[in-house]
Amino acid sequence: MIKDFERFAPKTLKEALVLLAKYGDDCKVICGGQSLLILMRQGLVSPKYIVDIKGISELSYIKDGKDGVKIGATTTHRAIEKSPVIKKKYPVLAEMETRLASIQTRNWGTIGGNVCHGDPAGDPVPVLMALNATLTVAGAKGTRSMPVDKFCLDYFEVDLRDGELLTEITIPAPLPRTGTVYTKFNVIESDLATVSVAASVTLGAGDGVCQDVRIALGAVAPTAIRARKAEKVLKGKKITDALLKEAGEVAATETEPISDIYASEEYRLELVKVLVPRMTKEALARAKKA
Amino acid sequence: MSDYSVIGKRVHNIDGTEKVTGSAKYTFDVVLPNMLYGKVLRSPHPHAKILKIDTRRAKRLVGVKAVVTGKDTLGRKHGIWRRFPELCDEEILCRAKARYIGDAVAAVAAIDEDTAEEALDLIEVEYEPLPAVFDPMDAIKEGAPQIHEGVELNINVNRHIEWGDVDEAFEKCDYIREDKFKCSSQAHVCMETHDAVASFGYNGKLEVWTSTQSSYYIQRLYADMLDMNESDIRVINRHTGGGFGSKFELDSAQFCAAILSQKLCQPVKIVLTREEEFTATKRRTPMYYFLKLGAKKDGTMLAKEVRVITEGGAYTAMGATALYLTGFFSSFPYKYPNYRYDGYRAYTNTAPTSAMRGFGAPQSTFVGESQIDMMAEDLGIDPVEIRRKNGMTPDYEVPGQAFIQSCGLHQCLDKIDEHLKKRGKLPPNHGIGIASYGFMSGGIFNWFNTPYAFSAAVVRINIDGKVDVYTGACDIGQGSNTTLAMICAEELGVRLEDIRVFSGDTGICPPDLGAWGSRQTLMSGNAVKRAAAECKQQLLEFAGAKMGVNIVYDLDIKDRWVHLVDRPERGVSYFDIVKGAIRGKDGNAIMGRGYYTPHRKGMISPAYSFGVQAAEVAVDVETGRYKLLNVTTAHESGTVINPVGIEGQLEGAIMMAGGYGFCEDQPMDDGKILNPSIADYKLIRSLDMPETEILEIDTYEPEGPFGAKEAGEGLTNPTAGAIGNAIYKAVGVRINDLPITPEKVLKALKEKEKQ
Repeated sequence: MIKDFERFAPKTLKEALVLLAKYGDDCKVICGGQSLLILMRQGLVSPKYIVDIKGISELSYIKDGKDGVKIGATTTHRAIEKSPVIKKKYPVLAEMETRLASIQTRNWGTIGGNVCHGDPAGDPVPVLMALNATLTVAGAKGTRSMPVDKFCLDYFEVDLRDGELLTEITIPAPLPRTGTVYTKFNVIESDLATVSVAASVTLGAGDGVCQDVRIALGAVAPTAIRARKAEKVLKGKKITDALLKEAGEVAATETEPISDIYASEEYRLELVKVLVPRMTKEALARAKKA
Repeated sequence: MSDYSVIGKRVHNIDGTEKVTGSAKYTFDVVLPNMLYGKVLRSPHPHAKILKIDTRRAKRLVGVKAVVTGKDTLGRKHGIWRRFPELCDEEILCRAKARYIGDAVAAVAAIDEDTAEEALDLIEVEYEPLPAVFDPMDAIKEGAPQIHEGVELNINVNRHIEWGDVDEAFEKCDYIREDKFKCSSQAHVCMETHDAVASFGYNGKLEVWTSTQSSYYIQRLYADMLDMNESDIRVINRHTGGGFGSKFELDSAQFCAAILSQKLCQPVKIVLTREEEFTATKRRTPMYYFLKLGAKKDGTMLAKEVRVITEGGAYTAMGATALYLTGFFSSFPYKYPNYRYDGYRAYTNTAPTSAMRGFGAPQSTFVGESQIDMMAEDLGIDPVEIRRKNGMTPDYEVPGQAFIQSCGLHQCLDKIDEHLKKRGKLPPNHGIGIASYGFMSGGIFNWFNTPYAFSAAVVRINIDGKVDVYTGACDIGQGSNTTLAMICAEELGVRLEDIRVFSGDTGICPPDLGAWGSRQTLMSGNAVKRAAAECKQQLLEFAGAKMGVNIVYDLDIKDRWVHLVDRPERGVSYFDIVKGAIRGKDGNAIMGRGYYTPHRKGMISPAYSFGVQAAEVAVDVETGRYKLLNVTTAHESGTVINPVGIEGQLEGAIMMAGGYGFCEDQPMDDGKILNPSIADYKLIRSLDMPETEILEIDTYEPEGPFGAKEAGEGLTNPTAGAIGNAIYKAVGVRINDLPITPEKVLKALKEKEKQ
């Protein structure tokens, strides 16, 4: 049963920030409602006030520029999935979206809402990590930006301070010779991830050496994480199957998976060891073609 | 049988338009004047004495109209096995003791749902938690907590089936295998949760709209529990959003709504939440299986011994029948000359287990078909061949149990063999597994103790030639109204659009045991066919007189044309005959009655369907994840009344049985179901559905209407076994406990690597 609440529907970011400052902890931000409504129906969250930012049109956009693409926080998953710019420059983001829940959810749910929900099994965050994205949040005192890795603090906890709102996601322009991929392991196709892996590989000019690599994992720790030690195994080297296998083993040591009704801790570790090499190899193949 | 004008045609359900446009009214949609909303309070303890229930604070909440507990009931216990009072063990509203997490202890009626729910929090129940037991293997041990008074070792019911001399036969076998299996539970996940609108009037009569598979059962069980005449109770089932076995017992929504309505003389509606649906309704019976199978070198199977312990949960429900049927169907579809089954159902402090589509046969088919493939491999015989060698044939008697008339198993095996050969050599880590199965077309056993015919129908022809069918059968989405309308139209010689069906309303329809055990096509179909034939006879009598034909000529009606069988061009319009016949009867409408009660068909069922299914999987050996690529089924169900209906049954069955094999499970922690939501309970969805194909097999069942038999449940039986066999073919590991999850497959692969 959802408890009664009062809903505000600001039309501008400024109005929204005023409301957030006024109601503080008593209020929750809603946009697509695909995560919050579930928590409310389960009685896990019972806000007195709801600030519905779905109607703030200034926050819904996909802008392509010199230094990358900027995505407004209230942009729906479906809009990202269908965007020609995204499909061309960041195909991994569109591919990720096609596997995010169902079309109905993607029509309503927003990228900002998903990221702020802080679910370690969410799809976008590992991909944004692999793409080296930056988040911008706005508050009464102004705006601040941070890499997506720093935004995720703990299980369902993100770095939003009182009265702050996520406004924009910036993804830098892809470097040449870069390939990025994402997959999630789940038993039912349209389900949340049991384990997810995003990997991005950038090759040096002409030498085939791995100049840069980012590996991000979902659902194996309280937040999505970067497997930095695994990245170190590969960085600056020519990637071989043996190195990939080692990266998988190392990545597994960086995780803290739990056992739950979907998978045991051991199984999740096994999946990390298999999927990290598999996906990094795919990223490498894409980088070679890029 | 191409001369049928209605049977065998591809038609959409006669209520399809209403359903897809959202205008069909389900119980969920029923709103009556002055209607109140009810909610049920449930035990948080798996096993606890109820010391005291204080309802005073709840009653004081504004908007609350009534609060009831077990003390407001007559203290009776209900059960489906009415012939055995000791198996009627469910109070529904517990008086002294709660036996599982979800057992109902109180109910509230209020002006709206929110108020009712708020009131639940204000009811104070003082419990004394008791030691509890969850696994049937623990429950039957000496010293285990006793769940029902006087039931030793918690053994709720046992069943024994035997023929031949099993021990002697094992001695003659060249080869014997013994294997253990575990079958998991499964939730029904009906789209419409259990619900009821009960309206008790000042006239002392009760009317109930409810989502049910058997209006008659609910009416009768209400009569028992409320000490009323069954004729003072009207149960109405217009449209039902799915029923797979959990909806033919009196449930907490129905019972609590009626008790509250009785108290207030106001209608009360209770709709179970999805969480209640998962935790406090019945579910598929988990089973421990111990199998011993003996064969000659050439693959002839001489003996089978089966022992089963089932997890009963807190009450008997239909679990006793599941126990019996899993034992019977463990011999299917083969001719075992010697067979012995011993099954025990143990009470546990878990949600009660009961009937679910396949009714014990998906379990027996999974374990039996797995073991047969193992046996075939040991003996070096092809899986199709070993099934051919032992498979049932027409006119076979299961010794002392059943008589099988039509049986197309061997044609099914031939078709599947062709399919396998056509697929040829598969890519690495791909495999196709097969499973054979059979199922009953309605049960003959009458543990419910009905004094009525198993099925009955009334057909009435109106002056405009339109036909009304009255049947107690329940259309639960399976399309029985359409099937029965088609049977009526064919028999009477009119078109499908001439038929209107009134079903599942005990106020106007003759009793029918309802939609369970795959009985509506054969049993209700026979009743409707007979009723229609009686009407037709009246029309032909009049037609014969009017047409003045020589009495040696036979008359018939086809497609609204009353004619001479030998000279079809000589005839009269059906509509004219109807008008005349009614006038000739002094204005009395043409009516016919029909019924069906099986006789001399053994103890189980009047007819059996058969089939063979092939499932193709591709396994990722690094993760254990596998994809169900294709499921091809050769199914014979006698004459197909509506091909569209069979295709719907097939796809629905693969979704459900595939889920049973692949991912559906109800993990528990001390009796608490851990995944009581559709987000956490894994169901196969559209993206996970394999390609499905149906291979047509022609058979004719003499006992069925126009030769038809069941097509509802049998299709749920083979898939888990076929998947298990396919995985073995693909990567050489066998999983003996359901569901076959990727994690289990990977673990088995790792263990195999070590060896």
